[in-house]
Amino acid sequence: MAVLPELGLVRSSDLDEVLAAVGHDYAPYAGGTELVPATGLGLRRPAAIVDLKRVEALKGIEVDAGAGSVTIGAAVTHRRLSDHPGVREHLPTLAAAASRVGNARVRSTGTVGGNLCFAEPRSDLGCVLLALGATAEVRSARGARTLGIDELILGAFETSLEPDEILATVTVPFEPPGMSYWKLQSYERPTLGVALVVTEDRWEITVGAATERPTRIVLAAGDTAGLAAFVDGLEFSDDMTGPPDYKRSVLRAHLDQTLGATQ
Amino acid sequence: MTGSQAPTSTVVRCRINGRDVEMLVPVRLTVAELLRDRLGLTGTKVSCEMQVCGVCTVLVDGNPVSSCATLACDLDGTEVLTVEGLARGRNLHPVQEAFMAANALQCGFCTPGFIMMAVALLDARPDADQAEVREWMDGNLCRCTGYAPIETAVTVAASRMNDSSLEDDQ
Repeated sequence: MAVLPELGLVRSSDLDEVLAAVGHDYAPYAGGTELVPATGLGLRRPAAIVDLKRVEALKGIEVDAGAGSVTIGAAVTHRRLSDHPGVREHLPTLAAAASRVGNARVRSTGTVGGNLCFAEPRSDLGCVLLALGATAEVRSARGARTLGIDELILGAFETSLEPDEILATVTVPFEPPGMSYWKLQSYERPTLGVALVVTEDRWEITVGAATERPTRIVLAAGDTAGLAAFVDGLEFSDDMTGPPDYKRSVLRAHLDQTLGATQ
Repeated sequence: MTGSQAPTSTVVRCRINGRDVEMLVPVRLTVAELLRDRLGLTGTKVSCEMQVCGVCTVLVDGNPVSSCATLACDLDGTEVLTVEGLARGRNLHPVQEAFMAANALQCGFCTPGFIMMAVALLDARPDADQAEVREWMDGNLCRCTGYAPIETAVTVAASRMNDSSLEDDQ
């Protein structure tokens, strides 16, 4: 077995103490789903891990019926998210996507915050949360700021977080009517994910997993030329799950089936 | 705070297979290393170390986790179940019985992981349908027996466990 390098541990139930510790060599740590293997492989070399799991403020799921939104703590696991009655009621597409992230072990320990902040392109949650218009609250000892998902995730494995910042919560407006999420997946991660919000007069399309970061467009319903231009303009990644042309073909076929002709 | 100030070991108090354990563990120690190297519980195997293959599956508070990619310091305050903790004396767990009856193993290296995943599934979802069985088990890899007998074993175990819980109720 690969032995991990020596690691320090900062553990507190106090958010301010946690924020004071997070920094360049002090890695925020929750499920460890990505950080532990990455440290084992030598891709990350933190001096210490800062455990976020004992901070109540990072573990809540709060339904705000007045605002019509759900606020999800960054340290909430995929299993808790998918099993939560309020999430299942108000965000059924997100709950269903969370119930199929990775594998059953990843869903036990992996967290919403870890999924977004690792920014692995082949992810479901980034795509679904962008489609839902979610916002991320980012915290540090210096203060807080609120970002859209497309302002948080900048590219493959790249976020706009500073070394001393953590993702604290994600606030998600209740799911609108006409939403769906479909993905093509062979192994642990999706090859292509497509979130749609289709109404009588609008097509909202968010494509994830096959591009460096999720991409969203809003079109008038029936704008097949606009849709074709969007699909043609996407820069699909070339990796083990297939070449760009393959992914473009699968996306076109899916949109043909769900929305009508794109070409 | 600097690297030299954060402690590199911590005390873990947990219950493993019904036994109370209190140990000082290095932060870098994984659950698999704790179980195998420190406690001699070698039924839990290690292979990919990437959360992909599932041979290292153990249950923490009933949830299946990859012991290769989980730090032992996270076990503090939890209840851990490994394959060694399933049998009651000479009586195997219904999932173990079903794996034997369905010939759901060949070399057996993946078997502890599959069995623990099946136990987690059937504890959480006693009425799991075929789609749910496949969704939970598809994160475990077998390279010799194949998956059909394993799926059969899980399905048979589910019906036996449901039958016996009905008997318990009567």
